[in-house]
Amino acid sequence: MKKYWRCFVCNDIHYGVKPPEVCPTCRAVNAFVEVSSAEAGQVSSPRKTLMDKEGFREAIDSFASRNEFQVNPDREKVDLLLEGIFENEKTCGLKYCPCRLRTKEFEEDLKIVCPCNFLIHETYKGKPEGECWCGLFIRRRS
Amino acid sequence: MSKIMFHGRECPHCRVMMPLVERLEKETGVMLEKHEVWHDEKNADMMRSYRSIIAPKCGGQLRVPTFLDTETNDLMCGEVEYEKLREWGTKK
Repeated sequence: MKKYWRCFVCNDIHYGVKPPEVCPTCRAVNAFVEVSSAEAGQVSSPRKTLMDKEGFREAIDSFASRNEFQVNPDREKVDLLLEGIFENEKTCGLKYCPCRLRTKEFEEDLKIVCPCNFLIHETYKGKPEGECWCGLFIRRRS
Repeated sequence: MSKIMFHGRECPHCRVMMPLVERLEKETGVMLEKHEVWHDEKNADMMRSYRSIIAPKCGGQLRVPTFLDTETNDLMCGEVEYEKLREWGTKK
């Protein structure tokens, strides 16, 4: 079961089954202590950051550059998808995929927050020209 | 009417399929009930009510576009060639 962890040196918050051995922010070793969700929220919420479409585009470009896939070069398609993703964030609270409907079961719906784990989907896995369901990410063309 | 298309306004696959659906309707006379599910909560709930039928055939999720025959539960999801859509649309 996933829990919240706080770095006692720099207050990084980690959500996961186990804490990181090395804090990715301050590099302190064995620095994470389990905390309540309320504490995790208190520690991280005062520094809320906003992300607009261009910021998200940069974030997914950077994310993709470290992986075997890329953001779809079809700018028009990506613009349409980002429009849907941000509309969903505005109306439903998270950046849900614009090509899959929420079930209204929170844990289940976390599976469709963009970027989702499309590497395991039949539209991507094992396919030379694989892509995520909505087409935002495609396998990197060589 | 038993043939339904669930679609989303910002879904590029749905945009690709819409002209094919119009062609199907024009050529065969088969009319599809179209329900946009991202901006109409009633339509979204309607799609959710078919979750047990749709999800097992659509990667475990409620993906759009989904084409469902509510009488036979025959369904497809995603972008498909026109011939496949026609086959689904004209199946009794």
